[in-house]
Amino acid sequence: MRYLSINKEEWDVALERLLSSYTVFATISNGYGLDYEVVTAGNIRDISYDRPKPATPLKTFFLPVRENVTSGKHAERQRIILGIPNCDIKGLGILDEIYLDKDYTDISYRERRETTLLISSDCFDMEKNCHCSSYGIKPYSEDGADLAVIQIDDHIILRVITPKGEEFSSQLTMLKPAENGEILNEIEKYHKAVESLLSSANKALPDFETTGKLVSAAGGKIWEKYSSHCVSCGACTTICPTCSCFLLIDRPGFEKIKQMDACQYPGFERTAGGGDSLFELSERFRNRYLCKYVWKSRKFRSTACTGCGRCIEACLGKISKNELFTELTHASQQ
Amino acid sequence: MQVNNNIYAPLKARLTEVIEESPLIKTLVLIPEEKFSFNTGQFIELSVDGIGEAPFTPSSSPLVSDRLEVTIMKTGYVTGYMHELKPGAIMGIRGPYGRGYPVESFYGKEVLILGGGCGLAPIRSLLYALENISDKLERVVLCYGSKTPSDCIYKPLFTRLNNTPKFEAHRTVDKADEEWGGNVGVVTTLLEKVKINLRKSLAVVCGPPVMMKFGTLKLVEMGYPDDLIYLSMEKNMSCGLGKCGHCMMGKFFVCKDGPVFTYNEIKDQPDIWN
Repeated sequence: MRYLSINKEEWDVALERLLSSYTVFATISNGYGLDYEVVTAGNIRDISYDRPKPATPLKTFFLPVRENVTSGKHAERQRIILGIPNCDIKGLGILDEIYLDKDYTDISYRERRETTLLISSDCFDMEKNCHCSSYGIKPYSEDGADLAVIQIDDHIILRVITPKGEEFSSQLTMLKPAENGEILNEIEKYHKAVESLLSSANKALPDFETTGKLVSAAGGKIWEKYSSHCVSCGACTTICPTCSCFLLIDRPGFEKIKQMDACQYPGFERTAGGGDSLFELSERFRNRYLCKYVWKSRKFRSTACTGCGRCIEACLGKISKNELFTELTHASQQ
Repeated sequence: MQVNNNIYAPLKARLTEVIEESPLIKTLVLIPEEKFSFNTGQFIELSVDGIGEAPFTPSSSPLVSDRLEVTIMKTGYVTGYMHELKPGAIMGIRGPYGRGYPVESFYGKEVLILGGGCGLAPIRSLLYALENISDKLERVVLCYGSKTPSDCIYKPLFTRLNNTPKFEAHRTVDKADEEWGGNVGVVTTLLEKVKINLRKSLAVVCGPPVMMKFGTLKLVEMGYPDDLIYLSMEKNMSCGLGKCGHCMMGKFFVCKDGPVFTYNEIKDQPDIWN
């Protein structure tokens, strides 16, 4: 993998020049935390590098909450998204499998993917509920993104990952091969440090495969216990980087509005005949875990949970899936 | 079929005839604006402009591509609007979707079809397909149950089948009226009255979930192998494209991986009868 280097001041200048041809989104801290903002000449210096994790999942750039999918107007300007944590990059895998499925390609999704350059950012720290490494995901991107950006003091280092990333970086003439071994060693040190942090914070958490087995085997009582605080608001699915269920709504002129939906909402699986296997709240609650850790892993190559922990942060009922899985682990060991 | 390469855009179809099958069931006869082919057992998403769409398996012959019949029971909001439509109305069709009946694998076999209620609609389409290949089949036996004699749709179909070589059709009702002289009881009671050569037979089950469940369990008890029982599953197939998630049944999207499955494929999945 090739590394390129540029002075931070020069990088900011280069980014500013790109604004004339691209819409650039980047992770910027505000008083409430980190999130994607539209980059302007005025906030380029506020971009945060190497910090986990923006409040908004990456999927919203490709799957809007609501869109008219029959109007045919979806050509957009070329986009750059900068500062994506690797968990969100990995979350795009399953969305690609679903929406770029060769039998039924979603053309709006495809156009957005084709017109977007993904620049990941290594995580040099972890947030409270981060647990990517428990599911075999690294806190830095080596595949999936086009490039990864890292800031070490006054240097910006770019890890070139895809041909699209290579082509893009060739436009930035000020980039030079990163020959300084010390900087690369320093990056590796940061990687090891954050991996150690993640591992120590999540040592009680089962891995992905074990989680699937525990979820499959869990009896009704634990689902009733944890779902007793659930209000079916769907915050967990909305904030999840891999949940992408939707509803098609009809509008006059045979137009279709595609709107995000959630298996946590009552009636999600109800049929015309009245059958509804997710009628009970505890069944809907359990369904989400079975879907993520058991069913989708049998159907798709990509993961349906990246360990970002956003569902824990977003839950109105303060339900922690990690507490649930830890409890299931303890119960299985008794 | 995809309109303008857009998977969500429906093809327009003109409603030319409305056939009243029973107080709650109507058949809509549609002429699509372009030829529309499907395999028997596949389904379509049929829409009322600006109101909504719902999944239906066509009840007409898969050999006809310029005319489509869809038999619809009035059960809710969208089907309520469909029942109000008059000839001349323009509807939308998306599809055909999913995996239908693998009729080529029926060659040389006896086909036992167990149907209930509105499940006769897709079965009628299957029967048209089987009539077309009857020279390659050993025998086709239809066992059909409805709640009452008046709830039975396509009544002339039974007479026609019983006059067709290699075909036979049997009826039962849950509750008889004064004129009914036939069998009374759930559809599985008919199985005791038909002769079946198990070594050469396969079964197709289509109907309400409770009938599918007990029908399948009875067939298993009779000795039908799990991989020779074909089930047409009913779930909330909303997009038809294996994307929206509403019809997930364990690891399967019923809309794309089904709706026709063998019992062997789905018996370990959760909530298959709900």
